[in-house]
Amino acid sequence: MSTEGYIIYGLAGLLLLVSLVKDPAKTKLGLKKGFKSFMKLMPVLLPLFLFIGILLAVVTPEFISSLLGEESGVFGLVFGLGVGSITFMPPFVAFPLGRELLENGAAYPQVAGFLVTVMSVGIVYFAAEKKFFSAKSAVLRNLISLIGAIIVIGVVMVVYA
Amino acid sequence: MKRFVKKNKFLVLSIVLLIILSIIDMNYTYRSLENTWNQVLSMLLIVPPIFVLIGLFDAWVPRETVIALMGKESGLKGMALAFFLGAFSAGPTIAAFPLAMIMLKKGARYSNVLFFLMVWSSLKLPIVFYQFSQLGFQFAMIINVTMFLVFVVSALFVEKLFSEEQLSTFEEKAEQYT
Repeated sequence: MSTEGYIIYGLAGLLLLVSLVKDPAKTKLGLKKGFKSFMKLMPVLLPLFLFIGILLAVVTPEFISSLLGEESGVFGLVFGLGVGSITFMPPFVAFPLGRELLENGAAYPQVAGFLVTVMSVGIVYFAAEKKFFSAKSAVLRNLISLIGAIIVIGVVMVVYA
Repeated sequence: MKRFVKKNKFLVLSIVLLIILSIIDMNYTYRSLENTWNQVLSMLLIVPPIFVLIGLFDAWVPRETVIALMGKESGLKGMALAFFLGAFSAGPTIAAFPLAMIMLKKGARYSNVLFFLMVWSSLKLPIVFYQFSQLGFQFAMIINVTMFLVFVVSALFVEKLFSEEQLSTFEEKAEQYT
């Protein structure tokens, strides 16, 4: 498990302990509520994992580096934004990939566009996000992040020109 | 049948894709299923503490407190709190959705919850430090400062795009799922 995993387990464990000491009945109620929302959310989330699994089998790091390489130009920019928006990748896969791309001569703007969207834009989450909040909210959140990515590209172009 | 497809669009789409991939190359299918399995495993690992936190939050934190801290009149304080909750976190964005819903259910302002989600997605502190180590200080700073500003500006204005009615449905939906 990653460090962040330990942090969140520690936090939850600590609060659970405090809660148990202060009021066992209330704690039980809380855990029941937590479990109930778990049961409601999982059916929405599980099919997503199948889809993401398929996506990651096709869109591998090798595939991305083959298309984001040196002199990939405008195509590279659009591809980076597109593939970053669609896929989800854990940070410990995405950032080393970004570093490798840069070391192999990929340009900063292309890599920036990919990294920002892979973190913040999640089209694979759209179905779930639409259900939990609303279609408008899901579109807006993703759109804001995409605009952010384009602004980042602009700043990077100016700084690394 | 039609209803099943409509209700399980993602599942049906995934199965169709898997069949197509199997025809092209079985290796893709194996890799897809292996990835899925790993995703499910890592999700199951991160999920129990999140739902413990949600449950405890639900039981202990009164609605009035959430309204005072993150509600309509919470102003800058509400945004700052949303930022810290998002930044001191761990896990993929999808793990933040249930937390966001419990905030909405307890009366937090939509713009604050959206800000929380956006910060969680890209400005979590563990990730930011990891970014520094992988990408170098300057490149990582450009990304993070720019995104922070974009998120702040959009959180300030986003509610203008929604009607009162649309904003109140978020709370109802959250009620349904938590």
